[in-house]
Amino acid sequence: MAQVGKGWWRYSWQISLICLGIYAAFLLRQGHSMLLGEIYAFLSRPFQGTISVQEYLRDAQVQGLEARIAELENQIAQLQSLLQLPPPSKPQAIWAPVIGRSADAWWQQLLIGRGREEGIQPGAVVEGQGGLVGRVTKVGEHSSQVLLISDMSSQVGVMVSRSRVMGILRGQNQNTGLVEFFVRDADVKAGDIVVTSPVSSLFPQGIPVGRVRSVDVNKQPAPEAIVEFLAPLGLLEYVRVLPS
Amino acid sequence: MSQVLRCTLLYSLGMGGALFLCLLLLPARLPGTTILGYAPNWLLIWLVGWSLRRPIPLAVGVGVCLGLLQDSFVLPPEAGIFPTHALGLGVSGGLTAMLQKQRYVQEDFISVALIVFAMVVICETLNALQRTFLGENLVQVWSAHQRIALSCAVLTSLWSPVLYFPLTQLRHWFYRSVHLVNKT
Repeated sequence: MAQVGKGWWRYSWQISLICLGIYAAFLLRQGHSMLLGEIYAFLSRPFQGTISVQEYLRDAQVQGLEARIAELENQIAQLQSLLQLPPPSKPQAIWAPVIGRSADAWWQQLLIGRGREEGIQPGAVVEGQGGLVGRVTKVGEHSSQVLLISDMSSQVGVMVSRSRVMGILRGQNQNTGLVEFFVRDADVKAGDIVVTSPVSSLFPQGIPVGRVRSVDVNKQPAPEAIVEFLAPLGLLEYVRVLPS
Repeated sequence: MSQVLRCTLLYSLGMGGALFLCLLLLPARLPGTTILGYAPNWLLIWLVGWSLRRPIPLAVGVGVCLGLLQDSFVLPPEAGIFPTHALGLGVSGGLTAMLQKQRYVQEDFISVALIVFAMVVICETLNALQRTFLGENLVQVWSAHQRIALSCAVLTSLWSPVLYFPLTQLRHWFYRSVHLVNKT
C-alpha cells in the first residue's frame, strides 16, 4: 500500500471536489435553474407521446358535451353582445405532455414537456381533463414545472358555483383540498361544484376545480369544506397550458 | 500507476453515472415503483451506498451537495433557503457513515435495506420539522409526514438492492484491481 498522508490531507482532493460540488449545486438551486429538468426532458423525449387533439377528444360523449358547451358559449356571446359587454378574449392554449412528477414527496408538481420555446411563461394556468390542475412556476427551454393545486403551498381563490359563496382552497397533498369560506353562514352542501373565483389574481374566472365532498359547519371562525378535485391529478398524461 | 489511474477513472465514472441516473429517476414514476403516487428516493439509496465506510465529514458534504441538487429540481422560485433537502440528506449521509458497517452490521441487502428504511424516515422527519418551523399547518404537515415517511421508506428500502448491488460490485472490483496493482 502507498504511504497514506497524515490526517485530513489524504482527503484533500476529495474535500475540495465536494466543496466545488456544493458550490455548483448551490448556484443551480439559487439560480432556479431548470438544468436537470431540461436534461430529463431531453432524455425522456423518445418515450413521450405525440399529441393528437383528435385522438384526445375521440370519446363520443366528450364530443357531445363539447358541442353543448359551444352552443352555450355562443348563446352567452349573443347575450353579452346584446348587453354591449366587451367580448372575453380567448387565448390559444398549448397542449403539453406530462413527462414527470415531483422529484420529492413533499411537493405536488408536474414536469411538462413544453417550455419557453413553445411560448409558456411563468404563472401560466394549467388545465387538464376535468378542470384546473395548477400553474407554471419554472420554465426551461423545452420543459416547465407546474405546481399542482393539491400542493400544500398552493392557494386558489374559489367560488361555489350554485350560491356564489367565495373562499380559499388549500391543497392537502392528496386528491382533496380544503376550502375556507369567508362568511359565517356560507351556503354550501355536498355535491356543489367549485370554480375559480372572479376576484382571483392568479387564475382566470370560472375554471371548474372540484366537487364538495363534505362540509364542516361547526368549524370556527367560518365553515370549511373538503373538495374533491375534478381533474385526476395522479393520472394526467396531457395538460393544456393557457398563456398568462 | 496508469493502471490505478484507469481504474479510478472507471470507478468514478460508474459512481457518477449511477448518481446522474438516480437524479433523473426522481421525477419518473416507473410502473411498479409507486405507492400512493410517491416514488422511491433513489438519491438516498445512492447516498447510503456511497457513505458506508467513508469518513463522516465527506459523507455529510456529499449529502448536502445532493440535497441542493434535489432542491434545484423541486423548489419553485418563490421558496427561500428553507425547506431544503440538504439538511435531511446531509444528516442521513453522516449517520450512515457513523454506523461503521463493517463492525456492527453484516454486509448484505437486508441490513442495507434496513439502514435505508431508517434514513428515509429520518430524512422525511427533518423535512416535516422544517415545514413545522416555517409555520405550516401542524395537522396537515404531520399527517402528510406519516403517509410520506411510511410509503417512501417501504418503497425505497425494497428497491435499494437494485442500486446497491451494482454499486458494491463496482466498489469490490475497484479495490480488488487497485490492490492487485499495488501487490505486483
